[in-house]
Amino acid sequence: MNAIEVINLKKSFGDLLAVDGASFKVDSGEVLSLLGPNGAGKSTTISILSGLLLPTEGDAFIMEHSVTKEPTTAKASLGVVPQDIALYPDLSAGENLVFWGKMYGLRGSTLKVRVDEVLDIIGLADRQKDAVGKFSGGMKRRVNIGAALLHKPDVIIMDEPTVGIDPQSRRHILDNVKELNQKGMTVLYTTHYMEEATELSQHIAIMDKGKVIAYGTHDELIKLVGELTRIDITLNTEAEKILSEWRKTEGVSRIDSTDGKVTALVDDSNRVLPRLFDTAAQVGVRITSVDIQEPNLEMVFLHLTGRALRD
Amino acid sequence: MKIIDIAFKDLTRSMRSLFLIGMALAAPLLITLLIYFAFGSLKSGDISMTPIKVGIVNADVLPTNAQLESPLGKSVRDMFFDDSVKSWITASEYADESAARAALNAQEIGVAVIIPKTFTQDYLAAGIKTPITILQDPTLTIGPTVAREMVTSLLDGVAGGGVAYKIIQVRLEANGKTLDRAGITALFERYANWYADFQRALFHQPEKAALVVTSPAAGGEASNNLQSMMGLVMAGQLIFFSFFTGAYAMMSILHEAEEGTLARLFTTPTNRTVILMGKFLAVFLIVMIQGIVLLIAGRLIFGVRWGEAGTIILAVLGQMFASVGLAVLLVSFIKTSKQAGPIFGGALTGLGMLSGLFTTNIAMPASFNAIGNFTPQGWVLKAWKLSLAGQPAKEMVLPFFVLVVMGIVLFAIGAMMFRKRYAE
Repeated sequence: MNAIEVINLKKSFGDLLAVDGASFKVDSGEVLSLLGPNGAGKSTTISILSGLLLPTEGDAFIMEHSVTKEPTTAKASLGVVPQDIALYPDLSAGENLVFWGKMYGLRGSTLKVRVDEVLDIIGLADRQKDAVGKFSGGMKRRVNIGAALLHKPDVIIMDEPTVGIDPQSRRHILDNVKELNQKGMTVLYTTHYMEEATELSQHIAIMDKGKVIAYGTHDELIKLVGELTRIDITLNTEAEKILSEWRKTEGVSRIDSTDGKVTALVDDSNRVLPRLFDTAAQVGVRITSVDIQEPNLEMVFLHLTGRALRD
Repeated sequence: MKIIDIAFKDLTRSMRSLFLIGMALAAPLLITLLIYFAFGSLKSGDISMTPIKVGIVNADVLPTNAQLESPLGKSVRDMFFDDSVKSWITASEYADESAARAALNAQEIGVAVIIPKTFTQDYLAAGIKTPITILQDPTLTIGPTVAREMVTSLLDGVAGGGVAYKIIQVRLEANGKTLDRAGITALFERYANWYADFQRALFHQPEKAALVVTSPAAGGEASNNLQSMMGLVMAGQLIFFSFFTGAYAMMSILHEAEEGTLARLFTTPTNRTVILMGKFLAVFLIVMIQGIVLLIAGRLIFGVRWGEAGTIILAVLGQMFASVGLAVLLVSFIKTSKQAGPIFGGALTGLGMLSGLFTTNIAMPASFNAIGNFTPQGWVLKAWKLSLAGQPAKEMVLPFFVLVVMGIVLFAIGAMMFRKRYAE
C-alpha cells in the first residue's frame, strides 16, 4: 500500500513554476528522504501534501485519500513537523501538546495519556510545565516534532527538522525518526544533508528545479555515477586557464569549476590524477591541494545537475 | 468544540500578555485615576480654593434728606462680611483709601473696594453716578473678578430696587396715594432682603434660585459632581480601550501567521472557518471580560453608577459587537503585525477623538457631536451616556440595534477578507 503517492504534481506562483510535474511514491512503513538544494521545490511539495497549498495540476494522496478532494480525511492520517518552530512560546510544553492534540480530535483521558507518552518520547516529561519560549533550540525542535505525533498518524512529514540545531539534539531527532519508523510509521523526510538521507531512508528522491530527477535506494542512486570518484582540486590561479585542457584528459567524465575550486568526476583517480598534474605543469598552473572522495549522494547530484547539492 | 479550544487558547495567551493586560485594564484605570486625582476636590460638590482677601473702605454716608435707613455703601460692605461668603472671602475694613492701598501693597489683601463718601447721595440724585473703585493686586485674576462681579451684582439689585420703587410710586400716585418714609423704608428693606436671599441662593442653593439642574444619578439616588464626571470619563476610557483591546486581540491571527502556528493549524483536520471562528470568539470573550472588569473597577474605585442592569447589559453587548466587528475589519487589512501599530493608533485614536471619547465632559458643538453618529465608538458613547443617566433598557434599543448592525456589517466584511486570504 502506498502511504504517500504524488502524481504529476505542478504548482506555479505567477510565472514561477515551483513544482514541475513531480511524481513519487512512499510505501507504507518506509522512510523516504526528499533531497535537494534550497529552491528545489521540496517545501512546496510538502505544503501541498500538508493541505496548505492546492496544486496547479496533478494530485497527491495520503493513505489513498486525495489531498485536494478529501483534505480533512487526508490530514487526519498525517502529522506535519514544520521546518520552523510552530509552537506557542507563552504556553508550556504540556499546554502546547494538549492544544495540538485537541486540534487532531483527541479528548479526555486519551489526550492525557498521549500527551504523557509523547513527552516521554521527546524526553521532556520533566520540563512539561515550562514555557516553550524558555527552551533551547533543540528542545523546541523536539516539542515541534512531538506535536505531530500525538494522534499516532500513519504518515509523518518532517520538513528539514534538524536545521540550525546542536549535534546532540540532531542525534536525538534522528534516533526519534528511526524509532518511529521501526514502530511502523511512514516518514517523508526532507533535507539537504545527504548524510541524514543516507542514514534514515530506504528510498531517496532527489529534487531539482521542481522535478524529481532521481529516485531509488541509496545504492541505486550511487550506481548512477558508476564507479566514478570525485576529485576536488585547488589551483594557484584561475581555473579557466586549464579547464578546457583537463576536459580532454582520458578518464575524466565531468569537470567543472565553482569559486576557483575544480571538481572532477573520474573513473580511476590513481590513473587520472598523474595526467592532470602533467597537464597542469605543461600549462604552467600549480595545484595547491587535492581531495579525493568515494561515490556519494553529493556526487550523484553533481553528476545529474552539474552543481553541488549545497550550492 | 474546536472553536472553544482555539478561543480558550487565545484567551489564555492574552491573559499572559502583560502588554494586553496593561492596555486593556491598567491603562484605562490609570488614566481615569489621574483625572480623578486632578479633579478630586469636586467630591461632594466642595470646591476648595484659597480665600479671597478683600479690603473694604466704606466712606459712604446717608444724605440728610434720604428716605433710606442706611447708606447703600453699607449694603456693599455687608455683602463682603456676609456669613454665606465667609468660607471663600476674608473681608477686612480700612479707614481710608491710603490705608487700603498700603495693605494691598503689603499683599495683606488682594482686592480693595473703595466706596466713596457721596455714593448714596449721587446714586439717589438721578443721572449722577459715582463709581466704586476696585483696586487689585496685578498678579491676581480670580479674586478681583469675583469682587467686581459681586459689586456689580449688588448694584444691579439696587438699580432693580430703584425701578421697583418708581413703579410703585407711579402706581400709587395714579391712585391718588403717596408713600410715606416708613413705607419707602419698608419697601426697600423688603426688596433688599429678597435680593440678598436670591443672591445667596444663586451661589449656594441654585435650585432655590429657580435654576434647575438635572442630575445624572441613576434611580434617583443622590450623586455628586465627581461621580458624574468620573462616570463619563470612565465610559470614554472604557470605550476607547475596548476597541483597542479588540483590535490587539484580533491581531493574534497575524502573530500566528508569523509564528507559523496558523499554517500548522491548517495542516490539522480542522476546517479553516472553524479556526477563524475560534479566533473571533476569543476576541469577543476578551472584550467582554475587559468590559466587566472595568465596570466593576469603575464602581468600586470611582463610585460610578453605571445605570440599570438591563441598560448596562445592552451597552456592554453593543460595545462588544461594535469593537469585535471593527477589530476584524481593521486587522483584515493588515498583512503584518508591524503595520498594526500605526494603523491601530491612527484609526482608533482618530475615531475615538471624532466620537468624543476624549471630550466626554466638554460641551461640544452640535456639528461635532453629529460626527459620532457615523462611528461605532460614537454610538457606544451614546449607549453609555443613556445608561449613566439612569435611562431604562427600552431607551437603549436604538443604540443597541445600531451597534449590533454596525458590528455585524464590519465583521462580515472583515471575515470575508480573512476567508479570501486564508482560502483552502
